Order: sequence, then structure tokens, then C-alpha cells
Amino acid sequence: MSKEKKAPETTHDDKDRAGIGPDADTEKLEERALSVFSSERNEDITALILCLITTFLVLASTKWHLF
Amino acid sequence: MSSRAQQNMPTLILGGIMLAYGLIAKTGVMLPILKYLHTHKSMELQVTMGLTLGIIGIVAALINMIREPQDTILDRFVLQPIGGILLLLLLAMAVRWYLEPLVKIMSKALQPALGFKIYKVLNLNYVVLGLLIGVIVTNTYGIPRFAASGVKCARFVLKMGVIMLGARYSFAELAKLGVYSVWLIGIFVLGTVFLVLWFGNLFKQPKTMTGVLSAGMGVCGVSATVAVAPVVKARSAEMAYTIGTILSFGIICMFVFPTIGKMAGMNPVQFGAWAGTGILNSAQVAAAALAFNAVDIKTLKVAEIFNITRVLFLPIIVLVLATWFGKEAGQKLSFKTVVIDKFPIFILGFLLLFAMSSMGLFSPPSHYKGKFIDVSYNDRSQITSEEFEVLDKALKENTITGLSASQMEAVRDLHRQKQIAGNFDERNDKKLFDKVGRARMTELESILAAAKAKKIQLAADVKHVIKHAVKQVHKKSKTVSTLTDCMIWFFAFGLIGLGMQITKKAIFQAGGWPLVIGGISGIIKATLSFFVVLWLVKDVVLN
Repeated sequence: MSKEKKAPETTHDDKDRAGIGPDADTEKLEERALSVFSSERNEDITALILCLITTFLVLASTKWHLF
Repeated sequence: MSSRAQQNMPTLILGGIMLAYGLIAKTGVMLPILKYLHTHKSMELQVTMGLTLGIIGIVAALINMIREPQDTILDRFVLQPIGGILLLLLLAMAVRWYLEPLVKIMSKALQPALGFKIYKVLNLNYVVLGLLIGVIVTNTYGIPRFAASGVKCARFVLKMGVIMLGARYSFAELAKLGVYSVWLIGIFVLGTVFLVLWFGNLFKQPKTMTGVLSAGMGVCGVSATVAVAPVVKARSAEMAYTIGTILSFGIICMFVFPTIGKMAGMNPVQFGAWAGTGILNSAQVAAAALAFNAVDIKTLKVAEIFNITRVLFLPIIVLVLATWFGKEAGQKLSFKTVVIDKFPIFILGFLLLFAMSSMGLFSPPSHYKGKFIDVSYNDRSQITSEEFEVLDKALKENTITGLSASQMEAVRDLHRQKQIAGNFDERNDKKLFDKVGRARMTELESILAAAKAKKIQLAADVKHVIKHAVKQVHKKSKTVSTLTDCMIWFFAFGLIGLGMQITKKAIFQAGGWPLVIGGISGIIKATLSFFVVLWLVKDVVLN
């Protein structure tokens, strides 16, 4: 891989798009993909907590008939 | 209109579309279309999702329009990404309820002309369709600005899918296989991982690509790819390439495996073990097993169990690849670093749900993926009065021919009791009643298998009655079904988002090497497992 990273193509002329054209470098996209959470750990913990809540709700409604 | 209002208009429109869809679905106007697509059973869910998401979308868009964006948790995780989340969900709904069923219907219509079902051969399920839609959106229109933040949630939701996957498996499956078979599977999983890593090094491929491909080729498709991607810092395109390589390899295997198996004279159990070890995607494993032997259900069961046992090696593979990637990056890794610092927490979630499932929290551990057979008397297990008429007529006119005495007896009993069950007089002896009922079900299943293999001629309406009766006694744990549905939705959402991060350039950057490496290692694995299975697996591998 070349050391010189190509900046993502921007399409400033089109305000409706996210500014990433089909020829953009994926590396930048990766950063975007992870940037909702400040770290991988936070992302994992949130995913785990949400799954446990989902599981509890499913058990409560289908098995324990709480609601 | 202010710029904030303009920016949030697409989200407002999306919310409006969802709300309108929910309201229309609630009136029942769409029932004929949904029945045609066979998605009418999910109508309640369609209404709930449409209304809930529609209201959330509209409220969030209005808040965004009125209020200045701030740096709060609500803004970061809900208000900013809501547009993208709604877009991905709308696409996931379109894939699950419309596109996937439509592809199935079209494939069935094309079957007489093509000779095969195209959706089965190309595995055109929500996984592939979702990825494709994401790729098409990005490479044609591009990711809309309002959706950019929401697309970032894709990988996070995919991780939720992997965690939920744990609920589908239990130790009971491992217990069904002897220790000996588990060793066999483990050796092949780890062997393939190391083989791909070695090839990656030989062909000088990026470590990120090799790492994720090794997990995909060793364990299975989507789940292993998603699980290992953060450990080896793989790009979205590399993840998609891995999934593509596995599915392409599986398509070839679906045709080659049954032919070779028949030529080598493998028995049903041997072929099941080979297909379950050599083919990666579970749908393709099932297709190959049925192509080899549609009559003996044992082939399919062995293949499925060998296939799913591989998934249970996922945490080990994550540990192995975390160590490998760390070492390749020149880090000094202690046991603590790998197991505690590098081990992804969401894999612990997978293990946690697996443990909960093994303890029987979702359904009794003896139930396979929450499925069980219930041959007790139940109004809901009965065939319909129209079906009874069909059976009655066929028996009176003696049109059901070519069956063995026990098969015929099972049909007569279905006619007598209008459902698959034991003998009425023996209903107090639960064990005996259950045994007799199950034996009858097996006989009826063997009739269907013989008809499928064209060994007997069975009228279509009679076949339908038997099929329905068998289906009625196959029950599913509602908890496991709902958890599986959640998993499917998480994967559908995540894969569309993942596809949206794959540009044409990224695909060309990866080149054809992943396909070459995946192909070579897949062939080596299939060849070695062929000989090992022929040599070691004789007949009974299931306890």
C-alpha cells in the first residue's frame, strides 16, 4: 500500500450527498464507520447492553408473559 | 426555509413514508399482495415497525429542525444518525418483506426454463441482497448527506447480530457429536485459518484482508467475518470481499460435492460430515446435502450439526487472530493482553447468550435451534376439513399407491385422527404415545422424501395434506424464533450499511487475490476433509 493516502473525493457541488464519491478511498470511510462511538470498547459494551435488553424483553413477552 | 429545516426534510419525509406504510398496512388493504409474497404472517410486525419508526422519525426530525444541535448523548446517538438509521431500516424492510420474497417467486417461476432455482444457486437471500443494495446506492447516487451519520451505526448493529447468534446454539449440539468429531472440526477450522494466513503472506496480501478471510474460510461467512474484522482492523470492502469469496466458493461446492460424493460411494453420514466440514455457508451446506440424498434425512442433520459446530470455535479463532495480528504489528503480547485487552467484548456477549441458551433459558437444551416435535393432541395440529376431504377421497378411491405397509398405516392413521399423534387408547402412557406418534411422523416424512426423489407417484393435493400435517407437529420455541428474527434484522440493517461503505475503487484495490487465496485454501480443505472423512467417519457419528 502506498504511504501517501489519497484524500477522499469530495463532491462539494452536490449538497445532498455525503461528500463521498464512488472513487473515494475506503480508509476514510472506515473512520466514518467507527466514529459514532469514541472507542471500540464503548461500541462493544453498548452492543452487549442493547442485546441483553432485547433478550430480556423477548423473554418477558414470549416466555414469562409479563406483557 | 432555514438550512436546518432543509437538512432535516429527508428524515421527516422518511418518517412520513414509514408512518403512512404502517397505517396502510393496518387497514389490511395490502393483505392480497402480502399473501402473494408469503409475508402476511409478519403483517403485525409491519404495522408496528411502520408506526413506531414513523413517529420516532417525525418527532426526531422536528426536534432537529427547531433545536440547535448540541453535544449530548441524545444528539450523538439518536438525533444525528436518525436519518441514516431510518433509511437503512426502510431498505431492510424492503429487502425482507418485498425483494427477498419476490426473488424467490421469480426463481420458482424460472425453474422450469433454467432447471434450477436461481435464488438457491446464487444464495440470493437478505445477506447478499442487502449488501448489493448498499453497494449500488453508494456507487450510483452516493450516500445521501442526511444519512451519513446513521450509516456509521452499521458495524455496531452487525456486532449486535453476532451477539444474538449465540442464542441459536447450545452445548446440546456439541454433545450430539462425539469428542472425536469435535476434534476433527476444530483441526479443520484452525488448519484453514493458518493455511489462509500462510497464503496471504506468500502472495503478499494486506494483513487486514488475510486475517478476515482466514476467519471467514475457517469458520463460516458473515458472523466470523464481522467477529474478526475489528480484531484485525479490516476494512468494509475486505469484509464484503470475504463474504463474496465464501459464497462464490460455496456455489461451486453445491454442485461438485454431491457428484464427487456419489462417485466415491460415500454413505449418508460420511457425505453429511464432509459437506458440513468443507462447505461454509449453512444454506449451501443444506442444499448440497439434499442434492446428495433427499431421502435419508440423516445426511442433512449430520451436515447441519458439523456446520454449526464450527461457529462455536469463533471465540478461539478471535483469540488466535488477535495474537497473530498483534505479533505481525510488532507488539509484545502477554496472555493478559490477548485475553483481556484484545478480546472483543461483543464476543463475550455471544458466549453469554450461548451459555444462557445452553442452560435452557430460551428453550429446553434438547431442542435443536428451538425446534421440537409435538405429537400430542392439539386442535392446532389438525389438518383442515378440506384437506381431510382430499385424503378421504384418495383413500376411498385407492389412488395412493407404491407405499410400504407402515407408510400406508401412517396415512390411514392421519385420516383417522386428522393429525399426527399416538394411539388414543395409549394417551396416558406418555412415552409410548409419543413414540408411536413420532414413528408415524417419520413414515409420513419418508413418503414426502420418496415423492421428492420421484420414487413414488403422489397426487399434488395428497402431498400437500401430508406436508401440512408434518409441518403442524414441528413446533418452534417462540423465544428462539423471536431472538432469531432480531438477529436477522440486525444483520440486514448492518449489511446494507456495510455495503454502503464499499466503493468501486475499494473493490478494485482488493483485486482478485482474495478469491484466489480463498479458492485454493477451500479446495485444499475440501480435499483433505474428503479423505479424512472417508478414512475416519464410518457410520454413526451422532450420539
